[in-house]
Amino acid sequence: MESGGTSPLRQLAEAADRNFPHLFEARARTEPGLEERRALLARLPHSAEASVVLMGSWGRGEVTAGSDDDFMVLVDGAEQHEFEPTIEGVSEVLKQRPSKDGPFAEPVFSENLVNDIGLDADSNRNLTRRLLFLLESTPISGDEDVYRAVRDKILSRYLDESVKPYRPPRFLLNDVVRYWRTICVDFAAKEWKGPEKWGIRNAKLRTSRKILFASGLLPLLECFRFDTDSMREFIERALTMPPTDRIAGAFLENDAADEGGRALGAYDEFLGRLHESEFRDRLEEVTRENSGDSAEFAKADEIGKELQGGLLALLYEASPDLAKVVRDYAIF
Amino acid sequence: MVGTATRSDPRESIVERHHPVGASTGYMQNLRGDWTAQVEEAWRVSSFAIELSALSESELPSLAGYLRQTPSLPFRYTSIHGPSKGRQMGEEELVTSLAQFSRLADGVVMHPDTMDDLRLYRPLGHKLLLENMDARKPDGRTPEELQRAFAELPEAGFCFDIAHAWSIDPSMAVASELLDRFSSRLRHVHLSSLSEDLHHVSLSDEDEELFSPILRRCLDVPWIFEAPPAR
Repeated sequence: MESGGTSPLRQLAEAADRNFPHLFEARARTEPGLEERRALLARLPHSAEASVVLMGSWGRGEVTAGSDDDFMVLVDGAEQHEFEPTIEGVSEVLKQRPSKDGPFAEPVFSENLVNDIGLDADSNRNLTRRLLFLLESTPISGDEDVYRAVRDKILSRYLDESVKPYRPPRFLLNDVVRYWRTICVDFAAKEWKGPEKWGIRNAKLRTSRKILFASGLLPLLECFRFDTDSMREFIERALTMPPTDRIAGAFLENDAADEGGRALGAYDEFLGRLHESEFRDRLEEVTRENSGDSAEFAKADEIGKELQGGLLALLYEASPDLAKVVRDYAIF
Repeated sequence: MVGTATRSDPRESIVERHHPVGASTGYMQNLRGDWTAQVEEAWRVSSFAIELSALSESELPSLAGYLRQTPSLPFRYTSIHGPSKGRQMGEEELVTSLAQFSRLADGVVMHPDTMDDLRLYRPLGHKLLLENMDARKPDGRTPEELQRAFAELPEAGFCFDIAHAWSIDPSMAVASELLDRFSSRLRHVHLSSLSEDLHHVSLSDEDEELFSPILRRCLDVPWIFEAPPAR
């Protein structure tokens, strides 16, 4: 996660005189965990067109003690029954099973990801998988060319002839925004079904989910700086970075190191707290009704506000150029 | 190359561009004692933030009564300025009183030169905000003086009064040092100019220009007007 020169997060840490200890520790924790999983999965037979991909905190380089193995078996092609490794085979290796109701631990076919963008076929699951694949994923087994090929196909679908130079790519931008709004609507829908885990869902919505959204939104808005060829290169490069690097890079690009230091400093603190089982367990017990009595929820609330304040300052004030792009493209 | 939709105007006022602003009720002398009217006046300045100022200890009971009857204020950020004059009650009693307020606010601002036993304020945790002081005050003015207070109150945040920093050093070097040192603690800014006798007055155009490079480093936090906004 830190290879290939000094990362934008490290550069921001230096510019803002911050340490971001928990973010860097999480990155350091992620790498050996990925290596361990790669070694285990390498023993399984793989179809030529299949790759196991990890998403969530593994894809963000933010693994904590409570992280699940949010995996999918990615198959480059149409829906089919014959592929390896099987879901059961991977599940025997990756022990931290993702939640049953989520979009993980299932086969995912590139034709659905690429061809079913929008309209009825683009289910909540398909949208979620596609955007998580683009924004926070990493391949851990099989041929990495499969992973890259699917990403290229998805990007080519989004970055079609409608893309104009020096303007954000609206198709992809709209889908990133749609995904964020879907997460927010689904949060409310889950609360309506029951109060379980309201506190930790709320806290993650304000922090890690918002980081994910911002890490997609910012590079796309920054596309106003590029012609169409350079734009694709810029987006591809951004998507190979962890989300916090994309955000750190945007703060630096727009001369907002102080604000970036505080925003990612707040997120750093959240990640540190999330690594503590006691904090995580208590947050899981918080409901809307008892949230006013929870010190853990108060802390998450404070952190969420600080993170959002920094992101809003970046979007609307740090650079008049970026602010005008936000005005022109982020809402309509 | 920058597209036509993205031209910028460098003449734009940094204060006018900043959305998270709010009024301190401290400058509303003619409405003193009438919290409803003060809140309405603050709302006219901004719906984002407010600082309910109980600079005199005698104002605390009426503020407590007002907040008891008003379950939710229509602002996204609410701070309360604790008393710095007319102090009668003991410090433990004051902290107990402030702790009740802190549940209703995002921050409680205190002047470090008026705090005797700093450790007593620890129960306020991250809600406590220490404000840098002006040149008339004996303590809490410089990075070194504030650092002593923060060392006793590690969770406390920083309320950066930019005009106070100017009174210490009109070159704004001290202001810059305060931000360098306490940037990670910054929670909000107090914004005004100062009169010759160092009382808060509306921000002048000259001071806005002088303060702009410093304010540029504080875009993510509310700016609280300590005097009626000029525009």
